[in-house]
Amino acid sequence: MSQHLISLLLALPLLAALVVLFAPRQMVGFIRGFTVLAMLIEFVASLGLLDGNYASAAFQFPERHALVPTYGITYSVGVDGISLWLVLLTTFITPLATYASWTHIGMKVKEYAICLLLLEGAMLGAFFALDLFIFYVFWELMLVPMVLIIGIWGGVQRIYAAVKFFLFTMVGSVLMLVAILYLVAQYKAQTGHYSFEISELKLLLLPVKTQLWLFSAFALAFAIKVPMFPFHTWLPDAHVQAPTGGSVILAAVLLKLGTYGFLRFAMPLFPSGSHRMGPYIAGLAVTGIIYGAYCAWVQQDVKKLVAYSSVSHLGFVMLGIYSITSQGLSGSILQMVNHGISTGALFLLVGVIYERRHTRNLDEFGGLAKVMPAYAAVFVIVTMSSVGLPTTNGFIGEFMILAGAFMSEHLGANGPVCAFFAATGVILAAVYMLHAVLKMFWGPLTNPENEGLADLTRREGIALAPLLLLIFYIGLFPNQLLTSMRASVDTFASEYTAKLAAGDQHPTTRDMLQPAQVPEDELPAAPKTAHLDFAPRQLNARVVGGQP
Amino acid sequence: MTGSLATAMASWIPLMPLLVVAVGGFALMIVDAVSTEKAELATLSSVVLFSAGAIAAVLASGKGLAPAPAGVAGYLAVGQMSQFWNATICCGAGMSALLAGGYLHEHALERGEFYALIVLSAFGAMVLAAATDLLSIFIGLETMSLGVYSMVAYRRGSPRAAEGGLKYFLLGSFAAAIFLFGAALIYGATGHTDLAGIGQSIHDGHANVRLVVLGMLMLLVGLTFKVSAVPFHMWTPDAYEGAVTPATTFMSVVVKTAAFAVLMRVVLTCFSDELSANLGTGWPGVLAPMAAVTMVYGNFAASQQANVKRMLAYSSIAHAGYILVGVVTLYSADAQVRQTAVSGVMFYLLAYTVSNVLAFGSLIALGSYGKEAVTYEDLAGAGRRHPLAALPFVLGVLSLMGFPPTAGFLGKWYVFSAALSSGDSLLWLVIVGVLSSVVGAYYYLRVIVFLFMKSPEPGAAVAVPMRSGYVALALVLSGYFVLKMGVTPAHYIDLALSAASKLG
Repeated sequence: MSQHLISLLLALPLLAALVVLFAPRQMVGFIRGFTVLAMLIEFVASLGLLDGNYASAAFQFPERHALVPTYGITYSVGVDGISLWLVLLTTFITPLATYASWTHIGMKVKEYAICLLLLEGAMLGAFFALDLFIFYVFWELMLVPMVLIIGIWGGVQRIYAAVKFFLFTMVGSVLMLVAILYLVAQYKAQTGHYSFEISELKLLLLPVKTQLWLFSAFALAFAIKVPMFPFHTWLPDAHVQAPTGGSVILAAVLLKLGTYGFLRFAMPLFPSGSHRMGPYIAGLAVTGIIYGAYCAWVQQDVKKLVAYSSVSHLGFVMLGIYSITSQGLSGSILQMVNHGISTGALFLLVGVIYERRHTRNLDEFGGLAKVMPAYAAVFVIVTMSSVGLPTTNGFIGEFMILAGAFMSEHLGANGPVCAFFAATGVILAAVYMLHAVLKMFWGPLTNPENEGLADLTRREGIALAPLLLLIFYIGLFPNQLLTSMRASVDTFASEYTAKLAAGDQHPTTRDMLQPAQVPEDELPAAPKTAHLDFAPRQLNARVVGGQP
Repeated sequence: MTGSLATAMASWIPLMPLLVVAVGGFALMIVDAVSTEKAELATLSSVVLFSAGAIAAVLASGKGLAPAPAGVAGYLAVGQMSQFWNATICCGAGMSALLAGGYLHEHALERGEFYALIVLSAFGAMVLAAATDLLSIFIGLETMSLGVYSMVAYRRGSPRAAEGGLKYFLLGSFAAAIFLFGAALIYGATGHTDLAGIGQSIHDGHANVRLVVLGMLMLLVGLTFKVSAVPFHMWTPDAYEGAVTPATTFMSVVVKTAAFAVLMRVVLTCFSDELSANLGTGWPGVLAPMAAVTMVYGNFAASQQANVKRMLAYSSIAHAGYILVGVVTLYSADAQVRQTAVSGVMFYLLAYTVSNVLAFGSLIALGSYGKEAVTYEDLAGAGRRHPLAALPFVLGVLSLMGFPPTAGFLGKWYVFSAALSSGDSLLWLVIVGVLSSVVGAYYYLRVIVFLFMKSPEPGAAVAVPMRSGYVALALVLSGYFVLKMGVTPAHYIDLALSAASKLG
């Protein structure tokens, strides 16, 4: 049982989607209930992952089956301290988002349920995958349900938003595909066989220049997903147009796949490339923090405000990752979970008011605390978490990231500068969030349409309660999460540093696996442009002939 | 005595797919003359083609293969590779016959000759794909093309069909003439018409280089015309749009497969010497920019179309570009890379065949008598009204887009990964390919957008799906293969790899 836990977790949403597919479309109540039930079962089953031994950095619950032996494609999955909490976040948020958003979905309930289930399966697959091919399949697979969710159940501009989301992601993905193919071709050239598994590909030591290009291709795909400034322009559109359930999942989980991709693939595979790009990425992260905050500040639309706040928050995550300190990395992973919880909750709350008033314009509100006291209280608590007030989860994550960036050896002298500017982002977050809270809940109740609005319903309360609980739980007892990620994070940092040192010492060493092979720089100096003018066979002949 | 008889029989087994199709084609004409029930012809022709395809699929894995009989050996190759092509061609042609069974009946166009044309053109395509002599190439080319010309002009009353047919016929005749001229020059330069002899003569340096280069270019023009690569693509949109949709399907899958098969055979057998198979001086230097332009032009032109059939026509041009990337990879001196590239092209064409049948079949299924689904507007909201008819379309366009886990994704992955395994010199081509495929994603996604996210304009006539067992069967079969080749591709990859091991 436990050795197939991950396959079970991947199969469950798929099977549930099949059941829904064959359910009569009139049985709306059954479809809704069954979907949420299946997602809850998935959550409970995923708690089984906590049984793993996370004191070791090795992948827990590993499974390996060759899919296409000829080309080294392997179904290889596992979970470690880095992916564990993101997986749990996924299985935790999805049923809540689904449960809370049913009331918005009046038509085509069946298709909506199928899309959500497939989306959950694909996201989990992307977190579990340890083989680049499998990862790419899941990574692309996520796209279709999300595009359908935005494009079918979204707002007025939904088609524009869905197509933009699709094309942005696709540009990054296809270049990453080329990089994957190139990497595997290099692996084949050096070892004589194919493999897509990261544990194998990590052993390659590529020239710095190659690493730089390959890293850039991976980083582009992930940066678009994160989204990092300046690749973020799809995000406000997608979020504003998506239905509440879609927004929650998009913010809480989908964006994390970008940051996770850096940790799992881009950085371990190409440390030298990553290191050279590191200062730029940290710079963009800080720019994103401040730019996102300023954009959020001037928004009239609450949903857009929350969307831009995501750009800012994920800037923190990227900064923490690029500190490459144990503290900064753990803080980043924690902050990914935190952002999932608090921004997920914020999108749910925005959905609540939109459902009642059919507007999200800040100017339309004011004095809501009088008519919806419970709603106001929850909103303020979630705001505090998002701002990073001590005792809430946001504080721990941001503090660790800033401390990590400040002390980072990899960022060097830039570290304190980055930390300084990022810290201003914390203040700006307080400004824009409190600005929104002020405009929505305090002051006189001027707009007659806001009188007599119903407070939180039981359904909404049930969906929000677990999120509130977690906000304080993680804020007060973050150690359970931090302990279980420590081993993986430390190993990540030390491997990264070690491989970086090795790569910098031998910038043209091509191979650690077959040290007998002649390194490239010892070959007779064939002109660099040779393959443009001559066929490779002639080039080869000349090279061979040049050897004694 | 029995031993020699058995040997004689065994040597005919590799020719079985060809014989079944040829005999079946003639039988169809006789049945057509005596029967009144035209639907029987659809069943009969698809049975003929699928059984030939099944035989070829078994032979392609190497079981029961024997050397060809002496009279045939110099003209046709009957090894695993040819059998793989036979299987792909028969699969595409059989599916087209099934689609025709539904489409012609629904639109009251049913005449017996259509099925005979499909079967006999498929025969021509099989000959073309297996040909190892310039003469048999030309015979195969013409047998296939004449059938296809008449299939394009099949709808007699329609001016579009006449325009498409005439355009295709005239341009096709020019291309065939240029091919023939090239063949004559090559013969003049080398004194051989068999591909192996030509290759040997060029390799030994006995041939007049100028004549060879000129002849080679002319052969390439003739063949790239058939695969509709830019700049020889002008006929494609008009012919595709004017033809009845099953004929369009046939052209886009069968003709393309056969043309790529012979293109690869020619460049590998005749022009594999150092000077010709050279990115700087030989055919790869011509085909590589051609592939780039074809991918970019095909995708951008397709994104501008309002007519789905024309969009699919331009997208088939783009696909020719992707496949050409695999053909260009054959420049490599490394035999293993060449084998990967050949098997990649084979896999791609098989995947493209089933995906395209799925897309065209869904387009057929969404229209009915008097109201064919042709433009995007016709598709508006169809996914909401008829999810079952729209679902195969989604799968088809996702596969054509190259989206995992479908056959189309594996095909793109295979061809591009072969190109990269030959070294860095084709990296630019692969990057052009994937970026232009993002443009492709845009127009394929538009199909999904119109099917599921838009509603028809008020007052516009809405397309009603037809009901046809033939079309449903074709959709189920091709849908099955699209998913099968996408999710568990190992078997097909190994089959293509072993078939690509020799140029048989």
